[in-house]
Amino acid sequence: MSTTAPDLSENKPWTKRAVRYDEPAVIPRPKRTAGVQTYIPAWAKGTGITMKAFFVNFKERLLGQKRDPVLENYDGGLTTLEYPEEKRPYPERFRGLHRLTIRDDGSMRCVACLCCSTACPAQCIHIVPGEYPEGDARRGYEKYPTEFVIDELRCIFCGFCVEACPCDAIRMDTGMHPVPYDSREQFIYRRDLMMSFTDRDGERHSDNTRHEPGDPTHPGVTRKHDKH
Amino acid sequence: MTLADLLLTIVKIAIILGFILNFAGLSVWADRRQSALVQHRVGPNRAVVKVPSNPLRLVIAGAAVAIGAPFGFFFWNAAPGLEQARMTTGLEIAILVGWFWMLLLSNHVRKHGADNGFDELVSRVPPRNYFYGGLAAHLLVLPLVRALPPQVWATQWAPGICGTLAFVMIAGAGFYAASKLPDGKTELRLAGTLHAAADTVKAFMKEDLAPKRADLLLYSLAPIISMTTALVTVAVVPFGSSLCFKDTNLDGMLDLHELGGLANVIDASGACPANYNTVPFMIADIDMGLLFVFAIAGTGIIGAALAGWASDSKPALLGGLRATSQMVSYEVALGLAIVGMLMICGTVNLREIVEWQGQNTWGIFAQPLAFFLFFAAAVAETKRIPFDLPEGESELGAGYFIEYSGGKWLLFMVGEYAEFVFSSALIVTLFFGGYHLPFLHGDGLHIAFGDSVLYELKMSHLSVTIIHFLAFSTKTIGFVFFHLFIRWTLPRFRYDQLMKLGWTKLLPLTLVNIMVTGAVMLAIDAGGPQVSKAMDLVADITQGILALGGLLGTVAFVTYLLEPPKRQRIVVSTSAKLADAAGGVKPSRMQA
Ligand code: SF4
Ligand code: SF4
Repeated sequence: MSTTAPDLSENKPWTKRAVRYDEPAVIPRPKRTAGVQTYIPAWAKGTGITMKAFFVNFKERLLGQKRDPVLENYDGGLTTLEYPEEKRPYPERFRGLHRLTIRDDGSMRCVACLCCSTACPAQCIHIVPGEYPEGDARRGYEKYPTEFVIDELRCIFCGFCVEACPCDAIRMDTGMHPVPYDSREQFIYRRDLMMSFTDRDGERHSDNTRHEPGDPTHPGVTRKHDKH
Repeated sequence: MTLADLLLTIVKIAIILGFILNFAGLSVWADRRQSALVQHRVGPNRAVVKVPSNPLRLVIAGAAVAIGAPFGFFFWNAAPGLEQARMTTGLEIAILVGWFWMLLLSNHVRKHGADNGFDELVSRVPPRNYFYGGLAAHLLVLPLVRALPPQVWATQWAPGICGTLAFVMIAGAGFYAASKLPDGKTELRLAGTLHAAADTVKAFMKEDLAPKRADLLLYSLAPIISMTTALVTVAVVPFGSSLCFKDTNLDGMLDLHELGGLANVIDASGACPANYNTVPFMIADIDMGLLFVFAIAGTGIIGAALAGWASDSKPALLGGLRATSQMVSYEVALGLAIVGMLMICGTVNLREIVEWQGQNTWGIFAQPLAFFLFFAAAVAETKRIPFDLPEGESELGAGYFIEYSGGKWLLFMVGEYAEFVFSSALIVTLFFGGYHLPFLHGDGLHIAFGDSVLYELKMSHLSVTIIHFLAFSTKTIGFVFFHLFIRWTLPRFRYDQLMKLGWTKLLPLTLVNIMVTGAVMLAIDAGGPQVSKAMDLVADITQGILALGGLLGTVAFVTYLLEPPKRQRIVVSTSAKLADAAGGVKPSRMQA
């Protein structure tokens, strides 16, 4: 099959972009030579390639010389990343499993505003807001989630929940991805589990400082506690 | 048949069954491993046994002592005429253990760091030099021992000291290896073979499902038939040269008390001297040898056909039909391909075919075309890639054993691999000299071209037999690996191509081969003594080529394995930059 490529590069209005059609590459049918018909040369060549790949890899494994599959190249050879044993470092902005960040006193930052569950396109966040107990400075001023559940099996890892959160309370910087569990129940991540996660470096530090009621930096919102 | 005969037969059956079954398991492992390594993956390697290190140390050191002890013990009283052989054996083994162990140690040090100054020292030499040094020493020992004056080697202590040296090397290597085990517990993976073992156990513990309307009797019978046929055929394959036991009471029968009287030396032909009983290293030394193989292998077709029929499933039925017609078609080419070889040797007894090859030349030189034909037909007969249409998973699932599970499925699987180990053994027996090695005759090493003798070394009957057995095993392993390489290379044929290849190509070619062989044989017979003498010389030259080629091939292979790697660091893509910043891709233990 041969298509003549229309030459659009000359004498055309300037608005039209010059398009070059590449002649489609047609691999010619092999000639029916004795070599092709007996199948033996091709067979020997193919087996040779398999053997070479095997022995190179066998040798490297035997001598502990396995190359870095991302950084090093061996004569254009194969570079297979053996996944569970070898992991390619994830990019910095990789969105992994969710974690709930905490305040300095160890309580959760989340104020149960439901922004994240509203933003979630997969509708996989379930929050039950609750009041802080009587006497807590935050009572009547903030709520907290008595239940915070994310179904990681439904989650599409879009990161909208992180964007939506006004308190920097939910993050996806754990650097982990969901482990293949054997039941659906195990993909339901609950509040305390997500609070126990750290970021990928094992830290919990946040640059967005909290201003608790009573702090000098607090904007000073006061509210009567008798009617709420 | 005496009690001793019976006993020996049982021992032989045990050895050979163990050989085939272990090999079948190992080739399953090799199959997986090879397919993975071709893509630079490690393959199934999850099965681990955590063994406390101290008992393991005991086992390793004990095994080393047990292996080395015969050298240190028996070499002190060498039979007359064998002193040089004993010295050579002792020295060669000491050298082999020496350089190989140095290699292992330097590799270990490179991976895990040095423990002491000796480790440091060992790891400083490039690993290749150990091999070159060892090779030079191996080759030097041969003429050196011969050049020694008889006063030296004819004494009892010379072979004794060489044997003790071998013992010390083996035991020392064992002890040092034992000291290298980590404290506490050692993780035993055995290169992934444990995974294959675990798979076997798992398969037998799985639920054994059968289709509702299957014919249960035939359904259960089919895997057993295909497994047994694969195992029974091995009975006529010689695994080593015959053993000679002295007939002390001259009754022409082997008695129990005569089992200790193994001959010291026999003559070059490998035949036992008078007053000795011959015990061939095969289960059944029957004259119809090869015919028995074909008869039993033909029965294997029934296994596949029954499985396909009894399963009450369309893919199974189609697979069974395919298997049957394929095996029936290729049986013809398979049988006719070796007729040329049978004409030359004048026998169908496999032991005699091997002996003929030992005295003349390997079958591949006598019948090169037949080898290719036989090989192709054997691959088709064992239903392996590129002829594995009966189990074509793209259209039939697993073909005739699609409805099988658990232990029965395993019988099919292992039966298939056993069949394929057997076909490798048969090809080795017919075309690659069986247990025979070039220039190694019943009485020892004898390098000669025509009438000009280059080198001679008398060896004991037992050591020749052991070398023969090892040679046969090694050749078979090599062929199994070769089979697997083909399996990992070729795409599957179409069914019509398969049938066409069998009936219109292989079959006529086998007939041509028979005719040409006949014509050449007649021509040689008519040529008189000169021609047959020239043929003998040509045969010796082929042996020389084999020996030299084998040696050079081994050297080239080891050199290649020890070659330092060439590396090219390419940090271009973002992921490479990221990995570079993180210090490369780090291997980590898999956690589940
Ligand atoms: S990442 Fe997206 S889908 Fe997953 S919980 Fe957050 S908003 Fe929902
Ligand atoms: S995580 Fe953030 S967005 Fe979601 S409820 Fe808590 S405070 Fe609101």
